[in-house]
Amino acid sequence: MKKLRFEYSMELKFSSPVSSHYFALHCVPGDSLRQKVVMTECRVRPSDYASELEDGFGNLKLSGCCAAPHDFFSYCVKGMVETEGMGVWKGPLHPMYRYPSAYTRFEPEVVRFARKVLEVCRKESAETTMEKAVCAMHYLHAHFEYMPGATDIRTTAAQALRLGKGVCQDYAHIMTAVMRYMKIPARYVTGLMIGEGATHAWTEVYTDGGWYGLDPTNDLHIDEYYINLAHGRDYGDCIVDRGIFLGNASQEQKIYVNVEEIKDGRNSCVNGTAGG
Amino acid sequence: MRELIEHTEGINRLMARYGVKFGIYKGGEFHEQLFPFDAIPRVITHEDFQQLEKGLIQRVDALNLFLNDIYGEKKIIHDGVIPEEFVFLSSGYLPQCEGITPPKKIYSHISGIDLVLGKDGEWYILEDNLRIPSGASYPMIAREICRRVSPATFGNNSVVDNRNYASMLRETLDWVNTGGIPVIMTPGRYNAAYFEHSYLAERTGSELAACTDLFVEDNHLYYRDYRGKKQKVGVIYRRISDDYLDPMTFLPESLIGIPNIMDVYRSGNVAVVNAPGNGVADDKGIYYFVPRMIRYYLGQEPILKNAPTYLPFYEDDRKYVMEHLEKLVIKDVAEAGGYGVIFGNELSREKLSDLKKIIEKEPRRFIAQEVIDFQDMEVMDGEEKVLRKTDLRAFVLSGEKTRVWPSGLTRFSRNADSFVVKSSQGGGFKDTWVLSQWKK
Amino acid sequence: MGVISMEKVDHLYWLGRYTERVYTTLRMFFHIYDKMIEQPEGIYAKYCERLNIPDIYTSNRQFVKSYLFGEDNLDSVYSNMKRAYDNAVVLRDELSSTVLSYVQLALDTFESCRKTTAPLLELQQVIDYLLAFWGGADDYVEQEDCRNILKCGKYVERLDLYIRLNYHTKYLEKEYRKLCNRLEKTNLSYKRENLERLEEIILREEDQKSCYKEALECLGGLFT
Repeated sequence: MKKLRFEYSMELKFSSPVSSHYFALHCVPGDSLRQKVVMTECRVRPSDYASELEDGFGNLKLSGCCAAPHDFFSYCVKGMVETEGMGVWKGPLHPMYRYPSAYTRFEPEVVRFARKVLEVCRKESAETTMEKAVCAMHYLHAHFEYMPGATDIRTTAAQALRLGKGVCQDYAHIMTAVMRYMKIPARYVTGLMIGEGATHAWTEVYTDGGWYGLDPTNDLHIDEYYINLAHGRDYGDCIVDRGIFLGNASQEQKIYVNVEEIKDGRNSCVNGTAGG
Repeated sequence: MRELIEHTEGINRLMARYGVKFGIYKGGEFHEQLFPFDAIPRVITHEDFQQLEKGLIQRVDALNLFLNDIYGEKKIIHDGVIPEEFVFLSSGYLPQCEGITPPKKIYSHISGIDLVLGKDGEWYILEDNLRIPSGASYPMIAREICRRVSPATFGNNSVVDNRNYASMLRETLDWVNTGGIPVIMTPGRYNAAYFEHSYLAERTGSELAACTDLFVEDNHLYYRDYRGKKQKVGVIYRRISDDYLDPMTFLPESLIGIPNIMDVYRSGNVAVVNAPGNGVADDKGIYYFVPRMIRYYLGQEPILKNAPTYLPFYEDDRKYVMEHLEKLVIKDVAEAGGYGVIFGNELSREKLSDLKKIIEKEPRRFIAQEVIDFQDMEVMDGEEKVLRKTDLRAFVLSGEKTRVWPSGLTRFSRNADSFVVKSSQGGGFKDTWVLSQWKK
Repeated sequence: MGVISMEKVDHLYWLGRYTERVYTTLRMFFHIYDKMIEQPEGIYAKYCERLNIPDIYTSNRQFVKSYLFGEDNLDSVYSNMKRAYDNAVVLRDELSSTVLSYVQLALDTFESCRKTTAPLLELQQVIDYLLAFWGGADDYVEQEDCRNILKCGKYVERLDLYIRLNYHTKYLEKEYRKLCNRLEKTNLSYKRENLERLEEIILREEDQKSCYKEALECLGGLFT
């Protein structure tokens, strides 16, 4: 078990005032078997109200509105999380995690890639769900190039595979799609990783009556140094920051994420490649 | 009755006066069309209607139980009655609705069940419409006008008055109201059913609202008054589809939705009529399983029959479909409104084999049905009586009790050889008479 | 119910304005049509100038056709009738089907007599329907607020036209009083100073003609 301190803040500047600005944020980590959260700060400014609800996937969602004209919008969440190490976290399986979704359709690229993974699995005699999943992660990590800017938030698993490069969202989508193709239930997770950077994404597979996390971007098993924010079928279900407003303004966004370990009352930053 | 037929033109003129229209898009442009009315009614006897009523109530009750189950415990899946892919791969299934208990546990408040009458005298269910079935307003206003034009017709025939639809609807809305005003939400006047939205708002005493009139604050839904006052909304009969309902939960590009309304709904602070997520129960693929649902949830035998349907998903059915494709109707599960319906007998040999390949590749995408030999109905074409295909949309309202409106929308096809009776593809409508048990 | 949305207020106001515009310009047209019998070609030019609409007409005949029925002519009476309908059709639940039907009938009549050789014969029916609409609105529109807003639109439009068409002060005063009466009863926010100046011009100015532009500006800017 580790103790992490996290901060996640976002500032948005509009070139001209906007109004009737509604937001829905998946930026507050929730309690689960693998993490216990104590929030120290959670504010959205400006906002007329903000309410916290659990969404259909079981994630915490902070939603609200700022009706009056404003040219600046920000939120900041800070807190402490006690995290558990690698493990299978018991929980029910929703059948939807077995089937392709908008970002993870079994298009030819996905099928081709998944068949290669199956081949490698056979070669390396990976038999259990866990072995296959880890095998897939290694293969994906080795055969997909990390390159920011190559893809965007609309890129599907198949499109990313066609390009051969992308960011953590694409790694997680491909991994999720491939798992499902291999009849292993999987879900997409957004969260934070130790270090300074941005939000991160990875995949959880369902095995032995619970969920187990794998980070194909870094070829790592999910351990104490990760904090879950939200999960769903794919990116579309757990968008960290969704907003809609009236006004025709260009936006400038600044995001700051920091996760550090609390050791003996002292902070120390563990090396990590956050972001993705 | 002859009197009524003689005045068909006059009746249609009165309907034009009241703006009885529906809109269609042709070449990207919006047109409004009058919905031609044929004065020869469909007549349903008292006994026949009693049977229909029982069957429809049974069916809609089972469908509501199914929806409660799917967005809750999913017992019907665990018990292996319905294969899960037919549920969770359906575009109508919305995981965003998981864990929500709608007020009074009602999902489908207004159900439009489409039926046809076979030559064997049996009613067959064609499809269930549990999202935003439209059409009740047309027979409502037609009856009003017909009674004016020919009181004698209604004096001589004991026809159950169908003009209570508005009060039935209002009772249905009131039953689930969480405390606030009722509103009918329309995507706007360029919607195909705009006449109906505005007419039902008038007749039920609900406020007709567009998205800009409604807003969410602190997990409650409000109607915005021009004086800056706000009125809490307790029930919203929304006539926009799930996808567009809440841009913060569903399609972000929706400009006709209400941001964060799903939060209000989830918190139990407003009733959304019909509930979001109902599409999973009126999917063409799920249709096949409705008789099973009735047996599973109610422990009863279905009173009304489905049209004989095959699911290529099952091997036996697929084999049958492949061998008899030329005499079957093939429906694409994802398409609605009469589109994506293919008649095997209209296809060339080449097209048939193409279709076979597609079915082989994506068996879940299609259902196949026997062509029902249904009874034609007489329609006036000028002075002449001609025969046309018709169907009946029955309206079932679920409130404190489940009730069937003693009428319905009878639509007829434009051409003699057309089997498609959707208003969006031409054609017209008839009044539907349900006879009362007291004969005159 | 007592709630009216901003949008509906807008539609009610403009429904009032456009029905009045169709009604008064049609009646005006009856006079012009009559005068054309003796007068030379082109008397419509003065009318256009008064109403401040572009004179795009080439002959008396063409004026009659285009000004009355022109679909592409944004200033035609028909175009204004269409606008009245567009505002009415979204107000069924406020107006009632009964009242709305008169706007529908007026529009349908307009559309069906486009090819007629004796337009005034049929357009009389449009005037009748509009009068029925106003009578119906008084009787069947349940919310007082709705009726008042509708009438505010009507009297603003009427004043605007009367000022442009150079009506006598006594008519202007009458319509002005009606407007004030309705305005007071609504919760519409308007510019008091505009109204006061308008009153001054209508009631006290000797030389109204010199102030007629200003009066129109006061009226036009009443709600903005």
